[in-house]
Amino acid sequence: MGLKRNVSLSAALGYKGQGPYLTYILHRIGGSALLILFTVYVLALLGVDSMHALLNNWLFQVVFLVFGLFHAINGLRITILDLSPKLIEHFRMAINIEWVAYVLIAGFALFVILRNAFGG
Amino acid sequence: MASRTLSLKKRGFTFEVFMWAFTRFTVIAMYGLILAGILGALSLSAQTGANFGDILYWAFFPNMAENPLGQVWMVILAKLMVIAFVLTACGHGVHGVLEIWDDYVTSENARRWARNIVISYAIVASIIAIYVILSA
Repeated sequence: MGLKRNVSLSAALGYKGQGPYLTYILHRIGGSALLILFTVYVLALLGVDSMHALLNNWLFQVVFLVFGLFHAINGLRITILDLSPKLIEHFRMAINIEWVAYVLIAGFALFVILRNAFGG
Repeated sequence: MASRTLSLKKRGFTFEVFMWAFTRFTVIAMYGLILAGILGALSLSAQTGANFGDILYWAFFPNMAENPLGQVWMVILAKLMVIAFVLTACGHGVHGVLEIWDDYVTSENARRWARNIVISYAIVASIIAIYVILSA
């Protein structure tokens, strides 16, 4: 496989990729974000104060909840479809259900974080 | 779209098949641990009167927070669950990172080095996390 990419992300999203490709690329971004979160967590455990402060930062929490929750919910869909191959016929519906669940859970989580950050 | 299935026998038990199964089973273990952790923290919160958030915060950062649980068995159980979660997350993450890396880097040498570095990092980070969680 060559290293050169002739199709940009925006072109891929607009072409055949569409919804399934968006979940695919967001899953990878989410996984990479969680790797960073894991590193920050281990450094915070080691007593690095700046990492602990970073974990308490509302913006950091928002970013990692948005991507981390997507990774977790999309991973659940992938696992269910992998372990029940007959459901693959309905994968577009599964993605739609996933988005509804994600919006509800992420929306609630964002509300809690922002309320704690800004009071009220 | 018709579903396509291939039995494990026909797939063969290659490294890729093993890692595919490993990634799926570790993620199922993580979902189970998350569910058990939330239910356990809620139960302990009800029994001890400790705040649910405080229990979870202490479980993941035992060296930075006061222990809200009194009984020793609760402490041991909570620490074992967090360690199990860290280990499964680490194992799951190693394969994910390598899969992304392998998609963009084709050199055999770079792939081998990436495997060595990522697996070493996961082992060292896990040991640090386990040590701090157990010793706090």
